[in-house]
Amino acid sequence: MTNDSMNLLPSVDGVLELTIKANDIPPRPLIIDRIRAAMRKDSPNFNYVGQLIKSDVGLAAGLIKTANSPYFGYHKQARSVQDALMMLGLDVTSRAVAAISLRKAFPNSAHYERFWDASARIAALSGWLAKRVQNPKFRPEDAYTFGLFRDCGIVILLRRFPAYTQTLARANNDSERLFTAVEQQDYPSDHAMLGCLLAQNWWLPEEICQAIRHHHDPSAIDLFESGLPLTSRYLVVISQTAEHILQQLTGASQTQEWPKLGSSCMRLLSLDQAMLAVLYKDGEELLKTID
Amino acid sequence: MVERPAPPNREFYESMSAANSAVDPITGFLNRNAGLQAVARAVTEANSKRSLLAVLWVDMDRFRQVNDSFGHAGGDSVIVRIAERIRSGVSMPGEFVRMGSDEFVVLIPGLDRIGAERLAGKLLAEIEMPMPIDDILIRPSASIGIALGQVDDYPLGLLERADRAMIEAKRQGGNRIVMSGNEPVAGRLGIQLAREELAIESALHAALESGGLQLEYQPIIRQDGSVEAVEALMRCSVHGLMIPPRKFIPVAEKTGLIFRLGEWSLLQGARCAALLREQGSAAKVAINVSRVQLTSTSFIQALHGALICANVAPELIELELTESLFMDLSATVQANVRGARAAGVGLAIDDFGTGYSCLSSLKDLPATKLKLDRAFIGVLPRDRRAFAIVRAMTQLARDLGMIVVAEGVETREQLDACAAAGVDATQGFFNACPMSEETLLPWMKSGKQK
Repeated sequence: MTNDSMNLLPSVDGVLELTIKANDIPPRPLIIDRIRAAMRKDSPNFNYVGQLIKSDVGLAAGLIKTANSPYFGYHKQARSVQDALMMLGLDVTSRAVAAISLRKAFPNSAHYERFWDASARIAALSGWLAKRVQNPKFRPEDAYTFGLFRDCGIVILLRRFPAYTQTLARANNDSERLFTAVEQQDYPSDHAMLGCLLAQNWWLPEEICQAIRHHHDPSAIDLFESGLPLTSRYLVVISQTAEHILQQLTGASQTQEWPKLGSSCMRLLSLDQAMLAVLYKDGEELLKTID
Repeated sequence: MVERPAPPNREFYESMSAANSAVDPITGFLNRNAGLQAVARAVTEANSKRSLLAVLWVDMDRFRQVNDSFGHAGGDSVIVRIAERIRSGVSMPGEFVRMGSDEFVVLIPGLDRIGAERLAGKLLAEIEMPMPIDDILIRPSASIGIALGQVDDYPLGLLERADRAMIEAKRQGGNRIVMSGNEPVAGRLGIQLAREELAIESALHAALESGGLQLEYQPIIRQDGSVEAVEALMRCSVHGLMIPPRKFIPVAEKTGLIFRLGEWSLLQGARCAALLREQGSAAKVAINVSRVQLTSTSFIQALHGALICANVAPELIELELTESLFMDLSATVQANVRGARAAGVGLAIDDFGTGYSCLSSLKDLPATKLKLDRAFIGVLPRDRRAFAIVRAMTQLARDLGMIVVAEGVETREQLDACAAAGVDATQGFFNACPMSEETLLPWMKSGKQK
């Protein structure tokens, strides 16, 4: 999470005011299971899936917005759910629906909006970056999905523990210890583990779940014996690099992750400083279109 | 790389996403899961068209030495180059699969016996070319098993025959080709099991990607009729076909998929406990945990993660472990068992009385509940000796501060005998069958169990 969104965190009292319901794991909407079921058919019925999505106006609007996101770079504008479906394909659609529903499941406060906006920008930059470095080891849409879900554990911790705000601030500023180690000092688990459990609950692919779980851990990325799938490693370094570019460009959202993970990112993506400078420049153009 | 502008190129993007969805990232071959599906499809097609089909199972000889000498990075680079050699050695259209770290499958429709043998010979020659790695010239070699499609093949039967032929090639010393049918016949049961395991592994992957897992809950009911707990039982169904846990759990343990299944069930179980509490019930949710899961150093973190996600108190969760786990010598397993208890979740000894029940260590176990195995309960009330054991064990466990549950209660007489023996609660078809969460919640609310 970035300081950018941190700055807009409500006061502790503000967090307390949020109703902490007994059971508010973002539920996995039935629609995802249905889309997945449709995908398993030899000739999936796009009309049927379209009907399912159209039955939820917010979802339909969100999906059309996703298809028209500059990240996907389609020349054509999606004007209907059917357009969006044909452009995105069923796999990306089911993930987009997951991401939209996840966001809808949390209360619509300015604080959470800022959080999701930061995630959305990192996701978009990640997808863009994944296309730029064109590596057959991962898919740009996985980088995009990963960016959206990477930090969802933070939202849960904020909901459960008002004092987590302070832990988060310390974790963001700690240049020595791992982000998750700072969290574990105060809590018996951390946002990476929570995010992984949620992602599993939403049937996301194993590589994405594992990447969420290890996205603050340099040894998991660097050491071959860590057992982290290569695809997961790439997802992590893409999103960390995307976040770094975002921080460089906006100036506001400083964390200590780049000093801890930057060298692994550059190595795995075969980047040097000159290439990074070009990415800053091109990222700036992209960011204008995202906002 | 970065000099090139990034034009939004939809066609490229679509072809890339379509091509990569099932691909092994190192070699660009199909991954194991996609490969199994490709083989199944090809066999079905060859069967319906009565056409030829050949499978070559290529396994690197002594690959472990490469990994040990050059590390996994070196190993990966060798695999990449071997994959290139395999692909360039095959001139006809076919499918290429990476089955495991150093195992490949080449699937060629329309290829006959002579063609397959010729191709395998060519591949052996290609693979054998010296390969420089870190200034050292290594000489890789491989063992190849060939199987040809037969009329009315079982979808994965072809693959399994190629695998057996490859194993025979290894047994003969490696760097050679064995045609399926020329190897000594393996035991029928072994073949049957290997075939089933492959199919189950593939089904588990499909279930994890398509939501084919579900928990069902079987109530555990106190003598006064109230629900003490519900035991979560994992169900797996793919394409409408149920796979029983006794079949998929061992495969999940063997392949490591159990870690994901286990964490998934922790969160689902915790969610169910929260839902029960929301409707005013204090019933615990008992979740089965296998030894393999307890070898994970992040087990306790995942357990806490599930509790936090579901916002449920640890007292509402119980882990069911077999009695041998309490006495397991592994430090990680021990730390996880104690850590779970320290976290405040209950620990139940499952199927008590059938393993190496050790009375002297019973006093040190951190367990909160003892579940008497159905073997004692099924013979009640006629078997007086069994009754004596049940009564004595109940008394003993009670005195040690544990709740006692009788498993497998199927008749009114068994229920009465359990009551007479002083058992706290019972579980079994006589009380209630396992049911889905959607059925359980209203059932609990209705109070029908009483």
